[in-house]
Amino acid sequence: MAAGRAAARGPTGREFERRRRAVAAMAEEAQEDGATRTLPSLRRLSRALPFGRTHGRLGISSSGRPIVSALCSQESADPQQTALLLRKAWTLYSVTPLYRFRRARLRDYERLLSAFIAAEKQKGLAVEVGVELDIKVALSSLADLRGSELDQAALLVQLSSRSRASSRNSEDKLVWSGWFCSVFGDDLSENLPEDFTSLPLFLSHGAESYTSLVGSWFQKTFDCCFRRLAISPQNLSWMVAMWAGCKLDRAAAAVELVFSVPRLSQPLDISYAIHPEDAKALWDTVQKTPGEITQEEVDVFMDCLYAHFHRHFKIHLSAAKLVKVSTAVASAHCDGIVKILQSQYLPGMLMLLTELAISQIQ
Amino acid sequence: MDETVAEYIRRTVLKIPRDEIKMMLEKWGFLSEAQLQTLNCHQIKDSISQEVVQLCEENSADIKQAAVLDIIYNHIYQNKRMWSVYQMKKSGEELENFDITDFKKKFKRILRSTLKNVTITFKEYEDNAIWIRIAWGTPYKKPNQYKPSYVVYHSQTPYVFISASVLKSNMPLLCQALIVASNYHDIREMELRSHSLNSLKDIVFKRYSQNFQTYTTPLQGENVEPENADIRIVQENRSEKERIHRLNQGDFGSGPQPKLEFAQYRLETMFKSDPKMDVLDKKEPFRCLVKFSSPHLLESLKSLAPAGMADAPLSPLLTCIPHKARNYFKIREKKSLFPESFVSP
Repeated sequence: MAAGRAAARGPTGREFERRRRAVAAMAEEAQEDGATRTLPSLRRLSRALPFGRTHGRLGISSSGRPIVSALCSQESADPQQTALLLRKAWTLYSVTPLYRFRRARLRDYERLLSAFIAAEKQKGLAVEVGVELDIKVALSSLADLRGSELDQAALLVQLSSRSRASSRNSEDKLVWSGWFCSVFGDDLSENLPEDFTSLPLFLSHGAESYTSLVGSWFQKTFDCCFRRLAISPQNLSWMVAMWAGCKLDRAAAAVELVFSVPRLSQPLDISYAIHPEDAKALWDTVQKTPGEITQEEVDVFMDCLYAHFHRHFKIHLSAAKLVKVSTAVASAHCDGIVKILQSQYLPGMLMLLTELAISQIQ
Repeated sequence: MDETVAEYIRRTVLKIPRDEIKMMLEKWGFLSEAQLQTLNCHQIKDSISQEVVQLCEENSADIKQAAVLDIIYNHIYQNKRMWSVYQMKKSGEELENFDITDFKKKFKRILRSTLKNVTITFKEYEDNAIWIRIAWGTPYKKPNQYKPSYVVYHSQTPYVFISASVLKSNMPLLCQALIVASNYHDIREMELRSHSLNSLKDIVFKRYSQNFQTYTTPLQGENVEPENADIRIVQENRSEKERIHRLNQGDFGSGPQPKLEFAQYRLETMFKSDPKMDVLDKKEPFRCLVKFSSPHLLESLKSLAPAGMADAPLSPLLTCIPHKARNYFKIREKKSLFPESFVSP
């Protein structure tokens, strides 16, 4: 823990530099919940904004800059689209840039992916045993799901099935969805050669077998590489600290941290759930820099929680592995699984995850 | 034979692992030796259970006999259920002789007088344990055989172990029947729950190895790393290791621990911090819910200090679990005399 205190930086200085401004913006937005709709749309923001370009220079802090909310304007965000993304457990991957991906060819890609899936099934790599299913592929762009003009619009892939046995009028059932996105992924996209499309974050929901089918096709077609994105305990601490400070609904869920204690004779799991009002009260006194969240503040917040625990149980929680955090806003698991519960925090969360994906790629 | 009984027997047999079916049917004793001989246990379970149902049909089984088979299954697989512990209180000193017939009669009478439709089955086991299976109905509905409650009463003790079904509304009636039948006058639920029925018994009957005074010779073979043949390697913190080992022995005893799966603490204590940190200083409690879970909780807690994860001695909030016979706690700031209130550092 001591290592994190020294300066407002983490394993890659740039990570925290960008993040702390961005997440402060998110926190700020949270407080002005009603004002969300009137915030300036991202499209109008210029590049010269406080998302530090610390190419290789670590820990340069240009403090004192005002934070402008950097989130997508809610007005143009399609609530139906966002509803698809909320309250689902998404498995995270980082994806290297796609070569020769053309937005105009989405219909072609649908056909090709469909044929690929059908062929794989015929080969015997059955995804569903028994029932014969036709898999229908749908690709669409989510224009609003991006950070700035520099980001590519998100790409949504949906697999639906219709049982051959049932009538033609029966509804298609969504069996798998996945989407590629980039929210403030400029670090990766700015230096890319032509022909490459940067969508470093991939989220999937549905059977693993479909994920690997879709992943294989994208890898073959666009020469990219998928890797599972794990979330370190340090990043989980960031998330729980940020979300604990979010404005609360009446019946908000507890702020819960789940730890696993390794290397014991019998495995031990510890769930530490704090009343959301008390957690927020603690965070509000810790978070002192206006409009910014620093690594030190996160460390202090966590140390307070650890100390309170130690006072009672004499156990050093800081030595245990933080495995999962969950709040009324969102939850995240160290294996790279997240669930977002409220739409206003979706962009902020995606920004953080895009950053993690980019660090894994580079 | 009633179809519902046939179906119930079929489903009960399906639950039993294939190599244990014959053994359980023998324990049941409802089918004859000859009938059991004809049973082919080398086919798929679906077929085995069909055959068993046919044999039961020959003997005209009714729900009472089927219920006994269910008790036998649940007695052997008792750890699949979650058990709570209840303690009964007598008003006076009397030590009446326990009469099992009287107990059964009174128990049935109380339940049947309220709930006409109820299936009650008793089976006695060693150690004075009486197993009771109750399938609950209402005055208008037949008993639901698939969600019965199980009660284990050790007649020489005031303790009852209950694995209830979902219907919480039947608990008061069940408690009433228990105290009347056993000549107690009150019953309360203890804050103690686990899947391991035997461990619960170990805890309340104090059958586990309890805390001892610190040993004078700490190195009794277990938990200590073997002497290294290479004398150039020296254990620098040997004395610390020994101290931890001693304290652990003192807290937990040296024998095997009762098997619990979790402990839950509802904390309503104040948040105290280093004044230098300038953080939260509320006058209200910092409300938390802490839950420890493990396949064998006490063993894992015991290994925390030696692993360097906790200070030794371990907090009394954790070490008191067996001798306080509870794994659910509510901790408040120490103002009162209750021993489980939090002890400030």
